[in-house]
Amino acid sequence: MKKGEMLTGFKTMFKHPYRRAAEWKRITGKKVIGCVPMYFPDEMVHAAGALPVALFGSGEPISHADAHLMTNACDQVRSTFDSLLKGHYDFMDGVAALHVCDQVRFFIEVWQLDRPFPFFHQMWRPFKMDGSTRPFLLKELERLKSSLEKLTGNQITPQALRESIESYNESRLLIRAMNDIRSRRPGILGAADTARIIAAGMLMPIEENITLMKQLISVLEREAIDGSERTRIVVAGHPCAVPDADLLDMLENYGLSVIDDDLFSGGRRCATDVILENDPVEALADSYMNALPCTTHHFPSAWMKSGDDHSPYSDHVIEMVRKGNAEAVVILRMMYCDPFDLEFVFLKKRLEEEGIPFLPLVTQHGPVPLESLRTRVQAFAERLKTHL
Amino acid sequence: MIVAGLDIGSTTTKAVILGFGQGFGGFYSDSMKPTGIDMPSVSKEVIGEAAGKVRLSFNDIERIVSTGYGRISVPFRTREMTEITCNATGVRKLYPQATLAVDIGGQDSKVIKMDASGRILAFAMNDRCAAGTGQFLEGAARTLGVSIDDLAKISRESKRKITMNSTCAVFAQTEIVSLITGRAKTEDIAAAVHEAVANRVYGLIRSVNPEPAAQIVMTGGVARNAAVVGSLERMLDREILVPNNPQVVTAYGAALLAEDLG
Repeated sequence: MKKGEMLTGFKTMFKHPYRRAAEWKRITGKKVIGCVPMYFPDEMVHAAGALPVALFGSGEPISHADAHLMTNACDQVRSTFDSLLKGHYDFMDGVAALHVCDQVRFFIEVWQLDRPFPFFHQMWRPFKMDGSTRPFLLKELERLKSSLEKLTGNQITPQALRESIESYNESRLLIRAMNDIRSRRPGILGAADTARIIAAGMLMPIEENITLMKQLISVLEREAIDGSERTRIVVAGHPCAVPDADLLDMLENYGLSVIDDDLFSGGRRCATDVILENDPVEALADSYMNALPCTTHHFPSAWMKSGDDHSPYSDHVIEMVRKGNAEAVVILRMMYCDPFDLEFVFLKKRLEEEGIPFLPLVTQHGPVPLESLRTRVQAFAERLKTHL
Repeated sequence: MIVAGLDIGSTTTKAVILGFGQGFGGFYSDSMKPTGIDMPSVSKEVIGEAAGKVRLSFNDIERIVSTGYGRISVPFRTREMTEITCNATGVRKLYPQATLAVDIGGQDSKVIKMDASGRILAFAMNDRCAAGTGQFLEGAARTLGVSIDDLAKISRESKRKITMNSTCAVFAQTEIVSLITGRAKTEDIAAAVHEAVANRVYGLIRSVNPEPAAQIVMTGGVARNAAVVGSLERMLDREILVPNNPQVVTAYGAALLAEDLG
């Protein structure tokens, strides 16, 4: 298969996010669980014999949700709820979410009241990541396990969970391999395509995703593109949502090449493997403890070492810049994303201190009004190139 | 070499023509017109008019750099560049020590922070909202029944401080109507309107974290409004420099960049 055909395939999957899951359910007769981004342990759902699919909302204008939610809820939450009210999730058997932020917690509770599903599970994750909270996380993983076993009637054996974790680790490895090609040869894979490929992987059985990713990587490896003249940038932000494809394309149309990112539908999805040494539930718990720094959780050890205003997340972004030999950072701030907005203050300060040029763009779910952003992006590209 | 800088703003289209090199000895000309719907035609007219002032015509222009909100709408441009880059270039040519440029046009306001060499370090623009722009002032003037040029003059008579609570240009007009109904004086409302614009721009300036000693230059149509400039100066506790013709500085920068295209 050619690259163009593969990319079109991913684009179609992303455009019709739940078509494959609905078909899978019809054929297999098994259950589909909608998982609210992010950090939900898909491995556990998979081990129970069900299909976890990420709930992205849709690119449609938000028309129904505002009657139920505050308008200053983030667009990811509003769009997901809007899709629910429009019936896009009706074929699903349940919904599960991890408590990544209070907006997600709050909207899941509204969801339960407004449109109850046969299965609802909210997993509580400690915001403080250290040894003192690990036992709580383990209990929460066990509670999720029992709840999924009850729903599916399948026991999640250590062996089944181990195999699921191995599959997801393989998928993460393949995403990293794809990102590595992108970093080495900027221009080979657009940022919008990369985000769609990774997002589409959250909407299909993991085994299918692995097969497709292997094909894609072998196609990319054969292609001769050397985009060395482009300006290398890192994109940070958008913790739970897939950024607008036109916006990512616009960055690249002005000569900027995204060589690394920490997007939910990007680097964040594949950064940390679950290390299988002993018990697989414990391995899952440890993977949270070793997660990438994120605006939605905290590592007190890093604070204690460096002071109250230290931001491990900023360290992570700066490391991406240094490692990827990037010149600048584009920060995507989804409107009303509280955790990211709070962290943005530290990130901005650190980037200024480090002398790394950055461009913050306020975005929204679905199509972004590009004209208002075009001048900023073009001016940023001019600034990086011309050095007035 | 004869070059033009063309700044197609949401409200006004401005052109600056520069002549360089042998036989010319250097010359400058400018012109402006309301933008309207047909941007390519208006742009040609404005360039033609500016050219006419120095006994040239549109066809004599060798290079055109277009900028502003309509920059990609003119097929005859040599190159398009953003108003950020063009404004910074124009400001630095006029004020070589300037490190902070504040440009407030019809529908957008922008702040550009530069280092000592003039390199752009950061910039900020108003987000999806006309608060803190010329349109805000125009709407307020219309509602008050005064001309936009008189708005600043009238506000000088203000004796009582009123605070505008709306930052949205549309809601502000409703608030003005309710102030008029409450028998507030026109000059006090006008002063409040200028204060509201200055507040928004002040927030934008703070967002780029300017150096305390930065030399500040203000351009764009709103820079002609002494009341907004004065309010900002009070808030910043610093002098703001305003060039003689602040509206054409971005077009001037575009013309300078056209010369540099080489």
